[in-house]
Amino acid sequence: MNFDFSETQKILCEKVKGVFDTDSKANLAKLGSGDDNMIRIVVSQWLKTLGQVGYLTLGLENGKEAVGLVAAQESLAKISPSLFLSVDVNARIFGRLIAIYGTLDQKSQLLPALKEGRLIGTVALSEGGMNIENNPLNTTGVPVGDGFLVTGAKCHVVNGPIADWIAIAGKVGKNIVFFLIKKDSEGLSIGQRLPTLGYNGTAISAISLENCPVPLKYVIGPFEGEEPLKTIRTWEDQILTAGSLGLMQRCYNAALSYAKTHKSGGKPIIAYQEVGFKLAEILTLLQTAQLLAYRAAWMAETGDKEISSLAHCAKVFCSESAEIVASQALQILGGYGYIGGNPTEEGYRSAKYLQIAGTSTEISRMKIADGILGMG
Amino acid sequence: MFKEQVIRFAKKEIVPRVQEHDLKGEFDFQSFRKLGDFGILGLHFPEGLGGSNADVVTSVLAGEALGEAGVDGGLTLAYGAHTFLCADTIFAHGTDSQREKYIPKLASGEWIGCMGLTEPAAGSDVAAISTRAEKRGDRYILNGNKMLITNGPVADVAVIYAKIGKDLKHAGISAFIVERGTPGFSAGKNLDKMGVRASHTSELIFEDCEIPEGNLIGQEGAGFLMALQTVEWDRSALLAPFIGGMTYVLKKCARYAKERYQFGRPIADFQAIKHKLADIKIFIEAARSLTYRIAWCKDQGRPLNHLEAAVAKLFIGDWSLKPANDAMVLHGGYGYCHEYEVERYFRDSRLAPIGGGTSEIAKRIISKLI
Repeated sequence: MNFDFSETQKILCEKVKGVFDTDSKANLAKLGSGDDNMIRIVVSQWLKTLGQVGYLTLGLENGKEAVGLVAAQESLAKISPSLFLSVDVNARIFGRLIAIYGTLDQKSQLLPALKEGRLIGTVALSEGGMNIENNPLNTTGVPVGDGFLVTGAKCHVVNGPIADWIAIAGKVGKNIVFFLIKKDSEGLSIGQRLPTLGYNGTAISAISLENCPVPLKYVIGPFEGEEPLKTIRTWEDQILTAGSLGLMQRCYNAALSYAKTHKSGGKPIIAYQEVGFKLAEILTLLQTAQLLAYRAAWMAETGDKEISSLAHCAKVFCSESAEIVASQALQILGGYGYIGGNPTEEGYRSAKYLQIAGTSTEISRMKIADGILGMG
Repeated sequence: MFKEQVIRFAKKEIVPRVQEHDLKGEFDFQSFRKLGDFGILGLHFPEGLGGSNADVVTSVLAGEALGEAGVDGGLTLAYGAHTFLCADTIFAHGTDSQREKYIPKLASGEWIGCMGLTEPAAGSDVAAISTRAEKRGDRYILNGNKMLITNGPVADVAVIYAKIGKDLKHAGISAFIVERGTPGFSAGKNLDKMGVRASHTSELIFEDCEIPEGNLIGQEGAGFLMALQTVEWDRSALLAPFIGGMTYVLKKCARYAKERYQFGRPIADFQAIKHKLADIKIFIEAARSLTYRIAWCKDQGRPLNHLEAAVAKLFIGDWSLKPANDAMVLHGGYGYCHEYEVERYFRDSRLAPIGGGTSEIAKRIISKLI
């Protein structure tokens, strides 16, 4: 057991924080503009700076940096939840897919650009709902000449409207295949950006494909089992767990600073138990969530056999705590919390995503219970 | 593995008598002594003093193992108060001769220890204690009452916090060793409690109780800090059996859910039942993370982090209520019966947000530190 960060991990977290200065806030606010093009410009700009400090290569090559990864992700998610989601779907899902399952050619073509933040990628998984557990993939590739013609529809693709490359999960016969498709490809159409409750700075859209030609060199797979899909789900869950920590940190900081500066009856409101105790409850959830998430990461690094269950426990606990924390933090800010654009209001709206996306809390609980019933 | 050994030992030697003692509200002297023989009571003390020189993480795992084996919260609380609140205070702050006199007998279980801080009119507000220690020649004279003292009626050795000087607050609090049978020292009758019934709790009464000056632990006025230092143990090894107990209960729930058929299938097939199982597991893993962290930091020799300790206490106390309730409800009507043991866990765990500092006190500490 180790509850400490190494020097390298601490330095990286400092570097991630150091990327953002006081002027960054105005720039990051542009993510909320609702304009796809503006989001693409802002995300691209930060990808390049984050690439320079090494954020984008974390967990890419060997998957053995789980603890350091969570620490760095938490640092970024604390600054901008929306930017974090966009960047991590790019680096930790699209990037890992290429790094772990891709061919040598695909790696040499895409990974250098990805690590330097010169491209935005995403993986399109879900069809007809947020969850694929019980739904087979209907997107299919038909072999034609030196490749496939791909047809299908994907919903809720994070980075959909701003991605340069999209990896589409589909089937060829009974096997799972990922088709790497460049934006503006023939037969690929990107839907309108979907209006969302939270994460307003992250561009999410549906995608459809109609006889979209994909040459063999841009195909990953075929895979006989469902292992790659399950693995991608664990990556998603990991991002959402770390994202929950950052979101909670951001809300807690806003509420704490407000409670110390806002006065009522001649004293800062933190001096009142109704407020001070709420902050205590918030911090308790935050710290407990952190320890559980870091312990899960540590178990991933050491290859503990309980990791699958722990990762689900962490995802459920962190994402559900995020909603409570955001709600209570907003309450502390009172009327100011209710006004758009403050961290608690953004957090309150965004927290729901963390429970729905990846493995939903419902599916997670069923998986945790299956593990217990197998053990008992 | 050590944890497995403890579980095997406890299942064989202790668990068979647990139910009887809980229902009768009787202290199990035989089991307590067995804990000593096996080495649990003095685990972290040096070998020369009858211990095994274990680190804090190992102590936490031992505590978890007791709970996981099915040992009741009463016996584990008695062990916690004995080892961490009484014996460890003597070990950490006492002189060599105090250590040599008390630790081996406490580690073996030959003597039972307790700690007296709380008073009828001073619980959370430690500075308000009114038990007095007056120096007369080479003796101290103790006067006052302690209340809700775990192991009070059965203890051979008590660590008692009393004030020197009327007007002093924290700075006057000092710790003393008082032995059973000392004239002027008596224990009240066992208080009839909702849970942790196999641990005995009582008032301690000091009426011109005279003790040698050598029974002072450390310096005069250093008692408050000593009491604070037990907090790390309190938030790690002392809570560990509660968490282990939740694992015991979870396994019982899983077994029951698989064996109990309704509507033609085991209730384990129903998502509402699985939801409860998952919630219990999530609590266990979150709580473990907190106690492991505190134990690990203590092993690294880091100074006590009051904020983290209060967070652990608050979380484990408040958030244990729902899973403990879930476990009982999952068993339906049987859960309400003594025979199924989940109601015992429900009663025992209800102490978690009360004992060793209430949840409100934890919140007060946190809100003042941030």
